[in-house]
Amino acid sequence: MVQQRSVRNLLLTLAALAVVALVLYFVQEQGGSKMRQVFTLFAIWGTAAVSLNLINGTTGILSLGHHGFMLLGGYTTALLILPELNRLQIAASARSQLNDFTLGLSIENWARGLGLEALAAPEALWTRILIAMFIGGLVAAAFGLLVGIPSLRLRGDYLAIVTFGFGEIIRLLASTDLFAAFTNGSLGFTGVPSLMGKSLWWTFGILGLTVFVMSRLKFSSYGRALQGIREDEVAAQAMGVNLAYHKVLAFTLSAFFAGVAGGLYVSWLSSARLDSFLFFLTFFFLVAISVGGTGSVTGTLLGTALVVFVLQYGDPLERSYPLTTWTLALGALLLAAAGGAYVYRRINRLRPRLHPAVFVLAGMGLVTVLVAFAGPAVGWLEGNFRAFGLRRIFLAVLLLVIMVFRPNGVLGRSEFTWAWLLRERRDQPTDEERAQDAWLHNPALNKEGKEGIDAPEPAAHPLLERGEPGDDDDAGEEPPPVDEGRRT
Amino acid sequence: MQKERDSRPVLARLTPWLIGAAVLIALFARIAFLISERGYTAAFFAGALLQSLQLGSLYALIALGYTMVYGIIRLINFAHGEVFMVGAFVSYFIFARTPYALPWALFAAALSTFGLMYVVSLWRGRLGDPLVLGTGIISFIALTLILSSSALGWIPALVLSMLITGVVGVLLDRVAYRPLRGAPRISLLITAIAMSFFLQNTGVLAFTRNVTAYRPETSWTQSMQFELVGQTVFGTRVVILVVLLTAALVVVLTMFVTRTRLGKAMRASAQDPEVAQMMGIDVNRVIATTFLLGSMLAAAAGVLWGMSYGTLSQPAVMGLLPGIKAFAAAVVGGIGSLPGAVIGGVLLGFMENFFTALIPGVTQYKDTFAFALLIIVLLIKPSGIVGEDLSEKV
Amino acid sequence: MAMLDIQGVSKSFGGLRAISDLSFSVEKGEIVSVIGPNGAGKTTLFNLITGVYRPDRGGIDFEGRTLVGNSPDKIVQRGIARTFQNLRLFTNLTVLDNILIPQHHKLHSNWLAAVLRTPGYLRKEREVHETALEKLSFFGPRLMSYRLHQPVINLSYANRRRTEMARAMATGAKLLLLDEPSAGMNPKETTEITRIIRRMRDEGGYTVLLVEHKMNVVGEISDRVVVLDYGEKIAEGTYRDVVDDPKVIEAYLGRKATRKGSSADAPTTGDEGRTGA
Repeated sequence: MVQQRSVRNLLLTLAALAVVALVLYFVQEQGGSKMRQVFTLFAIWGTAAVSLNLINGTTGILSLGHHGFMLLGGYTTALLILPELNRLQIAASARSQLNDFTLGLSIENWARGLGLEALAAPEALWTRILIAMFIGGLVAAAFGLLVGIPSLRLRGDYLAIVTFGFGEIIRLLASTDLFAAFTNGSLGFTGVPSLMGKSLWWTFGILGLTVFVMSRLKFSSYGRALQGIREDEVAAQAMGVNLAYHKVLAFTLSAFFAGVAGGLYVSWLSSARLDSFLFFLTFFFLVAISVGGTGSVTGTLLGTALVVFVLQYGDPLERSYPLTTWTLALGALLLAAAGGAYVYRRINRLRPRLHPAVFVLAGMGLVTVLVAFAGPAVGWLEGNFRAFGLRRIFLAVLLLVIMVFRPNGVLGRSEFTWAWLLRERRDQPTDEERAQDAWLHNPALNKEGKEGIDAPEPAAHPLLERGEPGDDDDAGEEPPPVDEGRRT
Repeated sequence: MQKERDSRPVLARLTPWLIGAAVLIALFARIAFLISERGYTAAFFAGALLQSLQLGSLYALIALGYTMVYGIIRLINFAHGEVFMVGAFVSYFIFARTPYALPWALFAAALSTFGLMYVVSLWRGRLGDPLVLGTGIISFIALTLILSSSALGWIPALVLSMLITGVVGVLLDRVAYRPLRGAPRISLLITAIAMSFFLQNTGVLAFTRNVTAYRPETSWTQSMQFELVGQTVFGTRVVILVVLLTAALVVVLTMFVTRTRLGKAMRASAQDPEVAQMMGIDVNRVIATTFLLGSMLAAAAGVLWGMSYGTLSQPAVMGLLPGIKAFAAAVVGGIGSLPGAVIGGVLLGFMENFFTALIPGVTQYKDTFAFALLIIVLLIKPSGIVGEDLSEKV
Repeated sequence: MAMLDIQGVSKSFGGLRAISDLSFSVEKGEIVSVIGPNGAGKTTLFNLITGVYRPDRGGIDFEGRTLVGNSPDKIVQRGIARTFQNLRLFTNLTVLDNILIPQHHKLHSNWLAAVLRTPGYLRKEREVHETALEKLSFFGPRLMSYRLHQPVINLSYANRRRTEMARAMATGAKLLLLDEPSAGMNPKETTEITRIIRRMRDEGGYTVLLVEHKMNVVGEISDRVVVLDYGEKIAEGTYRDVVDDPKVIEAYLGRKATRKGSSADAPTTGDEGRTGA
């Protein structure tokens, strides 16, 4: 039974992977540049969002500094794989502007000292870029370690602000003279080799690796400990979970993958610029996590897909349209809101069903629609209007709505698994178990009212059906009692 | 509330203070060195002092909003910096773009009237109340007339902007924060971030995408000079306005909080919202009042900011740094405490201004410094100078 | 040598002395109850033993080595686990996860091994699953089978208490600190929990330190009883000795109380607080 299920799941997973590979192949070979862009962005942001989910979702610490980790990873990768020519230009411009001290710190000297300059050889090969990205991840992870340390003293909103401060400080410092020898100030680098970021196989490969590590981690003993910290820090510590180690571990691992994602991002953009790593990146990941499901890896991917879709295909929203169209749209929106409020109140049986707000919204909507139709006749509402930033406004409203109506996101904490898809639920009793329950709770049958204290053990531990790899059919055998107390 | 006596050894208890003292001494030594080396004059110091006072007052006005909201619902109102931005731009659109064409005047008047009616309805119970309807009708007619008839000066712009921004703050609470009462504080913070993002981009959509010159017609923004121990000090008159107006607003706020029933209800709710509710205080109304007051102060800060510096940066970024710095000021002063916010604001203004004025080449680290200060204060002494520790406890 | 040895421990909060100069010890295999009126410092005592607070003065030794200065998680690894008076379960996680988390500290593989599912990690994982089932089976079938996979938030109050006890046992502790295990339970469930505590000692080999308000529970299972009042130990001994002690009666019922109503069931009303004094 157990083996059958795990074999079935394995086959299904392989089939799904094959389908994904097929889709990727077609997108890579046949798809337009827009579609390739959407897929790449999904893979890169998905990597970052899934890694952020380890802190925000699994460990339950709100971290707002993810763009800083990505920046570190991205810049490190860019510096290491930047072709010699571009590097020399940067060094020349730095030499003309900076003093000797900061130049001494410059990446050239570092790279030479560490013997890393070979990575930037002209015939940059995959392995070299991979190594560079790995080092980028390590640098980000080192900083993640540093950011993780405040989490030992602070919690909740103060900690969130501290992580936000760290993320911003990285960006602000990168533009100052002190670090301009590394970062070329606010100009950044161009000409970063992009063969990695432009290849869907690599971006999706790294996304797959991240998802693999994060989901394996979530369903391991470490993942349980992290979720314990999320549920109740005090209780987790009282149950032997070393808070310091686990929180810092979460920050470090998460930062590592964020750094790798930053490397991919830089490679895809083929430039490293400070304004590619603004706070809105972290905000988008936050939307992705919150919408998809806090703590759910698959949910985060779902959310990322939504965010990328809105941002990439939502540009018609921000084109120039006549003012009457906008007014009409606003009126329709208000009317829809009124209708939505009415339906919501009706479904949830709230009284009064026609709340004043419904009237107000409907009235405003009607007036707006009226104005839209009557306006041109009187000479109002002439000209066109471009609604800049409407997509971002949409995402902000989406996040608000999710937080109000479904704070744990669409998938909640559960994962999209085959068992979930096939509606196999283990938290519901089987018929046999139901019968046993009936016996326990029926005073006519269970005269002593023992509530099963001395009742026989259930024949098989359903737990062992959980399908942990390597779990064989030792179900039914009572495990020898392992007892610390008696041993000593 | 039980307080745990600090049982750490004396050295550990004193460490934060020792570090702080060491940093301060080092900085003062550096400044003294620079002064002796470069020969700064008394006039230079007087000028820097005035500027610091001005910047500090602005931070204090914004910080008051942070501290009041945090005191009552323990929320870091991430969107408060954006409320400040809205205040500045609303006032700009009032004094620089009036008179409006009739449709725009009607639209603006209708929107503001609805908000005002909502705010008044919070105290009168419902939208259908005669007083609410009366307020609505009068304000609609008056606003339409005012906006469409004549060009307005900066004082009506300040007053109207404070009213409208106050309404924006109350709506913010109603739409984004009130549905989440009792939810984990982290969810509330995420919502605040969403609202911050929303207001930033709505600002871009509704106001402008460019840096805006902010020049109301007033003699306050002109430069001034006066003699001090035989040297001439240069400055702008707006310094006086900023300091006086801030002081007046702080005094009014303090009177409101200490003398009125609503103010007392506010302090009671800050102590313990649940108990306050059991004692018959409508906590939602108190929270709405808090947002109203905080946003009005932020709007005043926005107007004064524009008059002080002559430009408004584009809406997406304008609120962020002043907001973060004001929050740092609130934390430095002790979050939850009104005097703390003022002290923290002025202190931060002084530090920022003096260091950038005295140490050459440090200007580019100004913003980094604000963030670093925030982090250090949160880590070492989250209770600030005068406040009690309100951070989340076991 | 005593398993747990508390010598002259004091702890105060601000000006309030929660525990003053308290000494007693727990021998291996004993069930010791700590009783006392509300605010007597019982929970503070537990917090001191488990490292949540650090004593101002005095020492706490466990198996001959001091506990003072160790962090709570370290103390769990030394072999002391607790339950909480007002339940602190991981409410959104399943019953099984709740019992697995306390065994995390026994895992010797690092996170990478956990991600790669090395044979060593898998062996340990199987082991902890078996231990979890064993501990849960103390409470009969009601936490087993499908309920293992239900989130704790779906459980009844009594089942949550049981889960919390199973969770404490799963840490591999030798000494269990149970903070009012029968709070909020009906008489039948109370009887059952009493039996289970006894079985924990007899079959599981645990030593138990108990805070309890229900005197019938205390009387039935305690080998010794320690009575606290205002943070001081006012009596220690067997249950019968202690309940007849005039100081104990005074602490519970106030100075004017006569000895008439003072027998086993009288202090049960200790929850209502002291009347005189």
